[in-house]
Amino acid sequence: MQVSKIISSVAIVLFIALSVSCKKKEEPLFILNNVELYPNSAAKTRVKSDEQWVAILHTNLFQSALSSNELFQIGECIASIGDKELVREIIISNFMNDGGVVMPTDEEMRADLPTFITDTYTRFLVRYPSVSEETWYTNYIETNPYITPELVYFSFALSNEYLYY
Amino acid sequence: MKRREFIRKTGLTAGAALVAPYILPSGRLFAQTGSQIAPHVVMVMFAGGVRQQESVLQRYVEDSQNEPYPGNIMYNMLDGEAPTQKIVYGTGAGGINPIPQILNSSLQSQGTLFSEVTALSRGHYGGLNSLLQGSNAITQGLRQKPVNPTIFEFLRRHGGYSATDAWFIGNGINNSVPLLNYSIDPGYGASYGANFFAPNITFDGVCENFLGDARVYHPENELDPIYQMKYFLDNNFDNYASGLGNLGNTEDEKQQIKEFMTLMYDKTGNGTIAHPPISDSEDLRTVGYTCEVLKHFKPAMTVVNLDNVDACHSNFTEYTASLHRADHAVGHLWDYIQNEIPEMADNTIIIATPECGRNLEPNGILDANDWRSFDHSDENALRVFTMMAGPTIPQNLTIGGEGNPIGFTSDSMLTAAEILGVKNNVLNAGTLAPGTLSLFDRL
Repeated sequence: MQVSKIISSVAIVLFIALSVSCKKKEEPLFILNNVELYPNSAAKTRVKSDEQWVAILHTNLFQSALSSNELFQIGECIASIGDKELVREIIISNFMNDGGVVMPTDEEMRADLPTFITDTYTRFLVRYPSVSEETWYTNYIETNPYITPELVYFSFALSNEYLYY
Repeated sequence: MKRREFIRKTGLTAGAALVAPYILPSGRLFAQTGSQIAPHVVMVMFAGGVRQQESVLQRYVEDSQNEPYPGNIMYNMLDGEAPTQKIVYGTGAGGINPIPQILNSSLQSQGTLFSEVTALSRGHYGGLNSLLQGSNAITQGLRQKPVNPTIFEFLRRHGGYSATDAWFIGNGINNSVPLLNYSIDPGYGASYGANFFAPNITFDGVCENFLGDARVYHPENELDPIYQMKYFLDNNFDNYASGLGNLGNTEDEKQQIKEFMTLMYDKTGNGTIAHPPISDSEDLRTVGYTCEVLKHFKPAMTVVNLDNVDACHSNFTEYTASLHRADHAVGHLWDYIQNEIPEMADNTIIIATPECGRNLEPNGILDANDWRSFDHSDENALRVFTMMAGPTIPQNLTIGGEGNPIGFTSDSMLTAAEILGVKNNVLNAGTLAPGTLSLFDRL
């Protein structure tokens, strides 16, 4: 009797000990969120050539590429005018007059300004806006009824940062 | 130590007090230092390499081809009888019809001819630079902006001239021509540069496709916001945007240039550009557009580059035709200024100088007339001329001659600087080639 008690006690102790000690340890699982990485403006130190600028502009505005022949021709046009800022402005306004520029409507822009501003920064400047930039643009567009997506796109295409990569 | 700091601060304050009143509304730091001789200068870079023998010396094919037919094929610029035989430089089949003279009296009789001037370079690019910089920087390579400040930059920085007061018109975009409107000198540079067109390209049908259908934006409701948003973006990026080469056209000036371009596309389409009576070459059409620039902007300083005579490397016949046309172009330019631009008539000085000459001896290339061709590499390629005419310029005066060279091609730049009131600034910069003088000092 005494022996059986001892045996059962030992068995219980062993069972408890084994059940605790043999518990499978859960492996930690690490998961990475998908985050698109963009350079900040400070990383842009090289000036685009005239041909690079206009090729990227066309792609940004029309979501399609210029042909190599058109690229050569437009490069010569740019070279034939001294004020490069002026000729860039003229090229942008010609593109805007083409009718095929892919951009949201004014209503779509104003319905979701944060998304529009972020999309515009990533589309033209290949980076996210800072908080202050997003705030400035939000305030500027909200307080200015004449601002359209076209004017915003124009300003980005004309900016100095857009000339760099 | 405290006393020294006090003295330093006092000195800085006094200096600032002296300088501040001279920061003028035009943006220039100092007032114009010299008085103007005339309010407008038109400089013709009579370029491409003009052989002295066929120009000032009027030997036509006598000297070059050993055929006994001398004559003057530049009768708008020079006094002298035209050739009577072997005429190939005109219009029509074989070029047998000389282009009629435009000016009633030659520029030589209206002004002063420096008939034997020494070029600073035997090459085009060095030669063009000597006309614009007043020097031929030997460290300067092709496809590189001028090393020393150009006449445009001196005028804009020290004379307070606006961007649309300074124009450089090229007859193409080859041979670094589009780079010549400003230098890389850190004290000058793009913000003092000239506006530039290569109009045969800018206003042709191809560029019209890309530039001629610009959307017109409302100045206050649309353009202003565009610029405001751009300036906001630029302010967040200004660390890297210092070398972009903006010419400093004001927004009003940009608007004027856009209007001019629209006008040019219309006039080109209508065939109403102010071209010379004969306009069958790039040089002639370049001068036609130059007339339009002059009429529209009335610039203080206009430089136009011609260079079709460079055909002489392989085609002497075409060279004579181009030389004849370059003369026709200059005649038309002067005639147009006097008769079609009242604001510039009688108060414009024209200066014409080749950037270099051509060789005494021919190369081995014969053209369709079996005439020999000429490169530009020997001492004869340093022999050129300078012509100037306009108010205060002595009339019917010839200075120097064969065997008696007087002056350098770099003189033309300093002369333009003197006419427009910045001669001392150019002299003080110390960038001129040794021996350079204003042509007024050689009269």
